[in-house]
Amino acid sequence: MIKFHPNEEHLFHYVTGDLSPAMLMMVGTHVDMCPHCQAQVRDMEELVASKLFGQAQAPQEFVAANDDFNGDEMLQQIMSQAPTREPQAASALLADELVLEGKRFKLPATLTRSHHRIGEWQKLIGQMWRAPVQIGGEDVLTFIYMDKGTKVPEHTHKGSEATLVVNGVFNDENSEYRDGDFVFLDGTVKHTPETRDEDCLTLAALDAPMQFTSGLSRLLNPFSSLFFK
Amino acid sequence: MQLATDTQQKRKSMSSAQPDDPDHAAALLALVATEQSRKAFSELFSYFAPRLKAYATRQFGNEQTAMDLVQETMTNVWNKAHLFKPDRGSASTWIFTIARNIRFDFLRKNKYRQHDLSADELWPVLAEQNDSLDDDYALDDDLLMQQLAGYCELLPKAQRIVIELIYVEGKSQQEVADALGIPLGTVKSRTRLALQKLRELIHSDD
Repeated sequence: MIKFHPNEEHLFHYVTGDLSPAMLMMVGTHVDMCPHCQAQVRDMEELVASKLFGQAQAPQEFVAANDDFNGDEMLQQIMSQAPTREPQAASALLADELVLEGKRFKLPATLTRSHHRIGEWQKLIGQMWRAPVQIGGEDVLTFIYMDKGTKVPEHTHKGSEATLVVNGVFNDENSEYRDGDFVFLDGTVKHTPETRDEDCLTLAALDAPMQFTSGLSRLLNPFSSLFFK
Repeated sequence: MQLATDTQQKRKSMSSAQPDDPDHAAALLALVATEQSRKAFSELFSYFAPRLKAYATRQFGNEQTAMDLVQETMTNVWNKAHLFKPDRGSASTWIFTIARNIRFDFLRKNKYRQHDLSADELWPVLAEQNDSLDDDYALDDDLLMQQLAGYCELLPKAQRIVIELIYVEGKSQQEVADALGIPLGTVKSRTRLALQKLRELIHSDD
């Protein structure tokens, strides 16, 4: 049972396509895993569509500003093409698994479609690995894998951080997070994620490097951009 | 103003039901899908094109880009009407999602917001394989292999073995490397070559 969801604003901007690429991937992956949010997304799409297309009258700005809109010409041009029916069987060959250290993880549909963007695994400190998802854009999207009994040093973020559990369970000071749980933290929140008896594969989006806040791990700060870039 | 009046009258004369009635719009799409009905498409066009234009003009503030979005969206409606699934939502929702994807890709190619992620990867509105990907994120390997078994026979033996171990027996690439006593890199390159070959075979068969 998924307990933590993207907020309504994130879901709505996922529907309209107005989030960063990394956040669109995050929310899309959560939606793949969450029937509740799938229903929300359908409702929102329906709502936006009825706002755009629902009016009985054509919108005023169209009527006023489009004397040169030659609808008939465009219509004829479109219908002069024979409808194409190209099968896309090749898409069935997409790999839907992620393999790390002999472990295999099933990937939700959004990640499966972007499987080719997943880079090589790199070992971080301790029993943590990361693999970048190369989508371009300014913010960073990365898989983070924590073996059981692993603790991430306490940190805050200059920007915001979204984390989605793809498989497994992790804890922080506030709660326990399992498959499909989506956590969004802004720069003011300090937290210390850790795994206990189970390992955990997460997908994380960061819009700025992490800042470590406690003890010796502060020494990591000069390297934090290496850590997550 | 004259044009607006003409458009209104044209729409009224075409049919008593309007495409803003969801059942009517779905029926028109079905006619486009099954018999490429020009009359049904014309009716959809005269309802949706002006509204798409208004949406796109608000989004882009640019006349030419707005017209491009209308044209690309309605071209997809004409070509891909068979992909509309009435049980998944209304016709207008489907058309909105097509327009949303096209807008996303237009903005993506804009130099100020350049990134690689395409709308199809995020929202596979027009993917033929939509059902299996959406409903269950495991693909049906058995069905897949039935379709592909014939093609696999055509692969070089070394590639076919790797493909079978991965896609039939479900081994990881590392496990295949161990089982065959070959380097992981070789497994990866054979897999890549084999998938490339299979894609070519599928396309050459069309």
